[in-house]
Amino acid sequence: MVDISLHLLDLMQNSARAQATEVALEVAEDRERDTLTVTVTDNGKGMDDEEKRLALDPFYTTKQGKKVGLGLPLVMQAARMCGGDVKVESGPGSGTKVQVTFSLSHLDRQPLGDIPATLVSFMAGNPDIELSFSYVGEKGTFHMTSSRLFSKREKETLGQIALLSLAEERLRAGLARAGFRPDGGGVIG
Amino acid sequence: MKSIKDLERVKEQALAEIRLRASSGSPRVTVGMGTCGIAAGARETMLAIIDELKKRQRFDVTITETGCIGLCAKEPIVEVEIPGEPKVVYGNVDAARARQIVASHIVNRRVVDDWVINRKEDE
Repeated sequence: MVDISLHLLDLMQNSARAQATEVALEVAEDRERDTLTVTVTDNGKGMDDEEKRLALDPFYTTKQGKKVGLGLPLVMQAARMCGGDVKVESGPGSGTKVQVTFSLSHLDRQPLGDIPATLVSFMAGNPDIELSFSYVGEKGTFHMTSSRLFSKREKETLGQIALLSLAEERLRAGLARAGFRPDGGGVIG
Repeated sequence: MKSIKDLERVKEQALAEIRLRASSGSPRVTVGMGTCGIAAGARETMLAIIDELKKRQRFDVTITETGCIGLCAKEPIVEVEIPGEPKVVYGNVDAARARQIVASHIVNRRVVDDWVINRKEDE
């Protein structure tokens, strides 16, 4: 994965495959503490202690017919490469929370990347999941939920393609107003 | 930003396409969005398909996703399903190929043979 937004899309896909109906993504930059924290929370089927322990093992997957599960191990590697880490909270039937922390100013930290593209592509493939997204940056904040991103009239009259295009426009505009930078701030870029 | 007029136009087009879809079944495009697909660029492929369909005003097409199907080396993988025609699976579909597949296969009903990795004739 070349940037953090791709890791996030992968983690959100894990939530979708865990039968989540709600997925929340939070991105928070904190210059004082020099941290970039991304969190994916879902209300999916969750994991027991054994599954949670194995989730970070690249040779473990819950999917049949596969021998590797690389999503979490890849994001863990990306985080640890720059002084960060991954925290997984989960329980059977109580959803999963994956929190990844990066050192904001570390030279090896991957850029945040195209967050609107991640959100739109997730919405395209998972129209029935209620997606919420929060961004907290130095210059501002932005919050959206997929059900409130469009008016009732838009939902009734526009098709999937038109809604997704509109979503992309609104997400890009909202994040630009909040001072979002695809490089994620820090010393790079 | 769209004006109200633009949105009204989009609405009319969408309604027309929805009516058409209800009577004849709609084309479906599926993008592989497993870890391998995402790492290979499936997100950009997905966005290119959405953008190209919008430009060509094909609001009748449904976009969906699937996980890893075991052909990781061929990711990003895109399946095009047009009612009454065989399902076609394309491999190594970057954004540029995705746009061409929309133009050629979905709009002009010509399969792009060079990038096909499977045809499901019996479905």
